[in-house]
Order: sequence, then structure tokens, then C-alpha cells
Amino acid sequence: MSSKYRPPAVLAMFLDPERLLAAIKAVREQGYRGIDAYTPYPVHGLSDALGLKISWMPRVTKTAFFVGAGLGFTFEAWTMAWAWPLNIAGKPYISVPAYMPVTFESGILIAGISTFIAVLIAGRLRPAPNFQNLDASLTNDRFGLYVPVRPYEQANVQELLTSLGAEEVRNLA
Amino acid sequence: MSQVAAHPHATVNAEPPIYRADLTLSQVNRDITAAIFRRPNAWWFVGMAIALSCLGLGSYVVWVQLHVGMGVLGLKRPGMWGTYIVDFVFWVGIAHAGTLISAILFLFRQRWRTAINRSAEAMTIFAVMCAGLFPLLHIGRTMIAYWLIPYPNTRHLWVNFRSPLIWDVFAVSTYTIISLLFWYQGMIPDLATVRDMHPGKIGRKVYGIFSQRWKGTARDWHHYEAAYGLFAAIATPLVLSVHSVVSSDFAVSSIPGWHDTIFPPYFVAGAIFSGFAMVITVLTVVRKAFSLEDYITIDHMELMAKIILATSMIVSYGYIIEVFMSWYGEVAVENHIYIWIRFFGPYAWAGWTIVFCNCIAPLIFWFRFARRNMLILFVASIIINIGMWFERYVIIVTSLSQDFLPSNWRYFAPTTWDIGTFIGSLGLFFMMFMLFARFVPVIAISEVKSVLRTPVGEPRQPSGSLEGSHV
Repeated sequence: MSSKYRPPAVLAMFLDPERLLAAIKAVREQGYRGIDAYTPYPVHGLSDALGLKISWMPRVTKTAFFVGAGLGFTFEAWTMAWAWPLNIAGKPYISVPAYMPVTFESGILIAGISTFIAVLIAGRLRPAPNFQNLDASLTNDRFGLYVPVRPYEQANVQELLTSLGAEEVRNLA
Repeated sequence: MSQVAAHPHATVNAEPPIYRADLTLSQVNRDITAAIFRRPNAWWFVGMAIALSCLGLGSYVVWVQLHVGMGVLGLKRPGMWGTYIVDFVFWVGIAHAGTLISAILFLFRQRWRTAINRSAEAMTIFAVMCAGLFPLLHIGRTMIAYWLIPYPNTRHLWVNFRSPLIWDVFAVSTYTIISLLFWYQGMIPDLATVRDMHPGKIGRKVYGIFSQRWKGTARDWHHYEAAYGLFAAIATPLVLSVHSVVSSDFAVSSIPGWHDTIFPPYFVAGAIFSGFAMVITVLTVVRKAFSLEDYITIDHMELMAKIILATSMIVSYGYIIEVFMSWYGEVAVENHIYIWIRFFGPYAWAGWTIVFCNCIAPLIFWFRFARRNMLILFVASIIINIGMWFERYVIIVTSLSQDFLPSNWRYFAPTTWDIGTFIGSLGLFFMMFMLFARFVPVIAISEVKSVLRTPVGEPRQPSGSLEGSHV
């Protein structure tokens, strides 16, 4: 495997999401922090179990929408009324109703692109031809629980996770 | 079924199951990715050959048009919009079902959409690409098509933002980009699944590039799900706006037959109607070709048939209101277009074609047996596709061919070049769809997994690949 340093941790694999959620609860009650779960699909209640805060995505989308729409409208008004004012069918230079479609579409365009980039940043996603997941079955049918530990805790945590119904527990060093 | 009912998920999923109750998580992986890992069968190659021949024909026709000039198309006054704009509106309409399924049905929590959203979104993107070709060709001087985009230039000129044709440029290109991002974002976890299953070295690298280091951690999913919902929320008004803007190309003008306030809702309903028909056409073939009958079930087909029936009613209502309002309004020129030439005059054949294809034929979906019979579904969807093409033909061609000045009137008939270009766009569409079905999971694996009745992994064989690491 790769020679990069990996902090010591324990990875437990569960066969179903209920046991994963129960294990997260138990491990958190024992005081372990920085734990993460690997699931093949978004499991309902996982974010709550891990105590994740509400995602900051909506703020990105909302801000980007208003910025994009504002820029779109400003650009239309600037080109039509200031850069080269043209009298078209006697309409006002700033014809607000006629500018609305492009204003709206620019808002949506910027909001969508920003949201997409935000997802990549949030998950530190980037093209990685040589990437290997901790285990291939984590995107298939296993529910993984990742617990960072101090080296002397490994045995205890392994025992705890096995007793919680893990099918398999592994040391990651 | 008793052990299924006893499962804790049974209380959550109290509704009837969307997929077979005994499907396991890894079975879903195997079934859906089967098409990627095995050599495609002869039918795939036959289909590809047909699609490529159509595309070749279309490329030749387009090359001649670019080389010789638009004159070969036989466009004459007054029907200058020809069939290219018919084709454009047709393809944009087809493109609407994908985003409807992925965004609007998502917001309504319609979980059956998981079976069809990926392929419908792919269809959206390919249909928008086909649609985009037609205005680019139709402007005649394709080499300066970039003049449509406002950019600083030495002439200090800007596009006219009061024109619906410029709204169209913005609406369609925004729609293309947002659909593409929505589609790709939803696909990243599935590409990671393919990456982790792939036996080949190069395959793992390629899917590794496109799956963006996806690990499936709770934090990844947390943001992913939030973003997916937000994409759905912004794509919903977008999809409704795009065809409304396309309809403004007509409604904002003063041509009788186009100048009509009913156009935006009526175009959007027609777009959804034709889009779902195309989804049925394509998925009928896909579920057979890749043995996905367990995923794209007859129940899903029935639900789509119901949406087709509902939108057919709306479209029929639109036709009736158009005719009624022109009769009730007593404007002679509108009566002439809406009633006389569309239903009794030179284009009566096209007018009654759309009445049959879009209003009468879909009525068969009132019957349950028809909604659940693949042959009837397939034939009806083809009829609807034809009908919706002719709807745009009737709107565009009849209104232009007999305008305010009777000395201008001329009967419009498409030439072989029109037809050749349209066949070319069909070839492009089906070629891209077949490549998609070959290299990308055609069904959203992670979304199917999230609505399984019993999401349980299969116990591993004792001689697994990870035996050294067992504790």
C-alpha cells in the first residue's frame, strides 16, 4: 500500500446500517472523537448520530444565486443603457421585465456552478487516478466505522467493536 | 415475508416496496454494473452501427449545407424558420423529462424515480446537445455563432437583451450546464463503486479520475445530500423557465398563431409529455438489452404512463383553448390560422395528426392493461414522439406560411436536407445514449440502495481477499 503516514485507527465493518448506527452511539458514549462512517449510500440518521452540523451548502447556493442574478442584471443594464444605449421600439433603456429571464438564468447558473465546486471542496474531491479506498466493499455492501485511537487503545476498541456486531475489525496504522 | 416485516426498516418503509424485496446491496452492484464489465452483445453493435450511419448521413448533409450554403435547404419566404426550429423545440422538449424526474420528483419524494433518473438525465443532456445544433446551423453563418454571446468586441456592440432569442441562448446554455453538473454530481458515488469493482488497471485509473476520490464517508454524504437537494431546488424553476423562454420566442412576436399568452404553460406541459414518451421509448430498449427488469419495473412504466396521460390532458386543453379563444375573440386572421388552415386548409393533415397522436392515442392509458403492456407503451410512446414533433411543425410552419400579406403566402414542405439533418440528430442522440449505457451505471446505484427494503451486506466467504487483516 502507499507509504504515506496514516494515523493509527480502527476500521470496523458492519453488515447493516442499524448496527453501524448503534455502534456509533456506543463508541461516542465511550468518549472517542473524530470518528467517521463509510457507507455505500446515504444512511438516514447518520449525520445526527455523528453529530454533524447542518451543511453549509445552502449558504453557498443562496449567496451565489443572488450574486449571479445581481451581476446578470447589472450587466444587462450596463450594456443596454450605458455602454451603447439603443432605443428599441421606444422601450426604456432599463426594461426590467425583459431583463428578468437573463437575470434569473444567470442566478441559477452561478448558484449551480458554485454548489458543485462547494461539494468538491467540502469532500476534498479531486481527480485521483491512483486512489484506493480503505476497502473496496465500502462502496458496495459494507458499512464501515472509522475510529482514530492511540496505539495502546487498539485492542480495547477492537473488542468493543466486535462486541457491537462488527463482521470484521481491522487496524489501520 | 415475515422476517422482512420484522426488520427495523419495515416500519420506515411502510409503503409497498419499489424493488424486489430480496435484492441485496451487492446484488444491486452486480446487476447494474454488469453492462460495464462484460462485452456488449451483438444487439449493441447493431444499434451502434445504425446510430453511426444516421450520424454519418447527418454529418454529410450538414457539411453540404455549410459548404454550399443554406440555399440547399430550400428555405423560402415566408417560412424562413423551416424545420430546424421545429427540431430545436422538439429536442428541447425531450430534454425536459430528465430534470423533471431528477428534480421535481425528488422534491415530491417520489422514490420510484431512483430507477429512471440517471438515464433520463443522460437523455436530457444528449437531447439538449442535439437541440443546440439546430439554431447554430439555422443562423446560416455558423462560423460566427459566437456572436450570440455578449463579449467585449472591437465593434463595441452588445446583444439585445430585450429579445427572446437572447433569453433562449442564456436559458438553453444554463440548462445544459446545470443538467450536466447535476447529472455528474449524482454520478460520483456510483463511479466510485465502479472504480472499486473494476478488475482492470486502466479502468480503475479512468474511473478514479472521474469519481474524484469519493470515499463515501458520512461527511461526504452529508454535503452531497445537501447539495443534491439544492440542485433539485434550483433545477425545478430552471426546467419550468427554459421551455417558457423557448415559448416566448413565439409568444412575444406578433404573428397570429404565435402571439398567445397560453404558450408558456402549454409548452412546458408538452415538453414533459414528449419527454416522458421518449423516456419510455428508450427505457423499453434499455431494460431489455441490459436485463434490468428488476429495477425498471412495470410499476415504474405504469407511473410514467400516468404522467403522460395527465400531461396529454393539459396539452389537449391547450389545443382546445387556442381554438376557442380565436373563435371567441373573432379576430379574422387568428381564426384563419388556428381554425382554418390548421384543421381544414392545406395543413389539415398535420393538424389532425397532432389531434390523433397527442389527444386521442394517449387516452388508451386510462386502461390499466395498456399502462402495463410493454408493447402498447412502446408503440404509444413512438406515436406521441411523432405527434409532438408535428405539434411544433404546425405551430411554426402554419403561422409563418400564411401571414398578414396574402401575396406572400406559400405552402411549406420540408426537403430531403431537412429530413437528413433530423435523422442525423437522432443518430447523435442514440449514439451518445448507447455509449452512456456502456460506460456509466444506467441506474443510480446508491439511490437504489437507499430505498431497498432490507439493505444488508452479504456475509463474506471465509477465504476472502482480506483474511490477513481479520482479528
